[in-house]
Amino acid sequence: MNPPNIGAIELEIPASPQYVSLARLITTAIARSLDFGDDKIDDLKIVISEMCTNAIIHCDNREGVLNRIKVRYFPGERDLSIEVEDEGPGFDPECVGNFEDGIAAGKGFGIPLIKSLVDEFELNTGPNCGTTVRIKKYDFDEGDRA
Amino acid sequence: MEKQDVDLRIESVKVNDYMVIVLEGEVDVYSAPLLREEITRQVARGEYKLVVDLEKVAFLDSTGLGVLVGGLKRVKPHDGELGIICSQEKMLRIFRITGLDKIFPIFGHVDELKRRQAGE
Repeated sequence: MNPPNIGAIELEIPASPQYVSLARLITTAIARSLDFGDDKIDDLKIVISEMCTNAIIHCDNREGVLNRIKVRYFPGERDLSIEVEDEGPGFDPECVGNFEDGIAAGKGFGIPLIKSLVDEFELNTGPNCGTTVRIKKYDFDEGDRA
Repeated sequence: MEKQDVDLRIESVKVNDYMVIVLEGEVDVYSAPLLREEITRQVARGEYKLVVDLEKVAFLDSTGLGVLVGGLKRVKPHDGELGIICSQEKMLRIFRITGLDKIFPIFGHVDELKRRQAGE
């Protein structure tokens, strides 16, 4: 019997660096409950860290007002999708570089690293419309699919 | 504001010609500024041969990688170098994926660094 579809699990955190570790903890707990292996959980910890860090960097935190980031988890039968949404000013997706650009600049590794650790990646952003990053990761490697 | 709840401890120890910056804990967007400050402090003291020991690091993301690249840029103009001590496969994999394994000399253990200095 297939497990029931439990729908989304939602987390809302202040757009502040100190809460990224909380998102990692919750991601670890959810992935573990889905029987993800340690290697996949390590990947997901980096992925959620990068997703939240990007959201914090791009959030337009004005003095005295701390924006919030929404994290949604969609557990599947053999996968976990995660969506991170911020209400920042958005950015031009064409500006996303690669690892070589990151090495040259000393920053900008985040999105290329996310892409390399997940099975599906989607970025929705644009000037003045916030940013949503959505990923899917399976609990198995492509070559091991049953 | 002092970060009292940050999960990163830093201790720098001199190993022959190298200043080894030993980290313990997690390196992310919250704690990475502490590492950046320590690298900056060591370079300001004239230490241009740096090695960052990641053996006791439980987590490292791209913010930490960016700080390491920034550190390398700081020591390069002084003919310096920045190496990494790491034998954890989960972390080495990230260095390989990003191509940073080609940028940083990586030692499996501090003894490897000592042997290199001894010319063995």
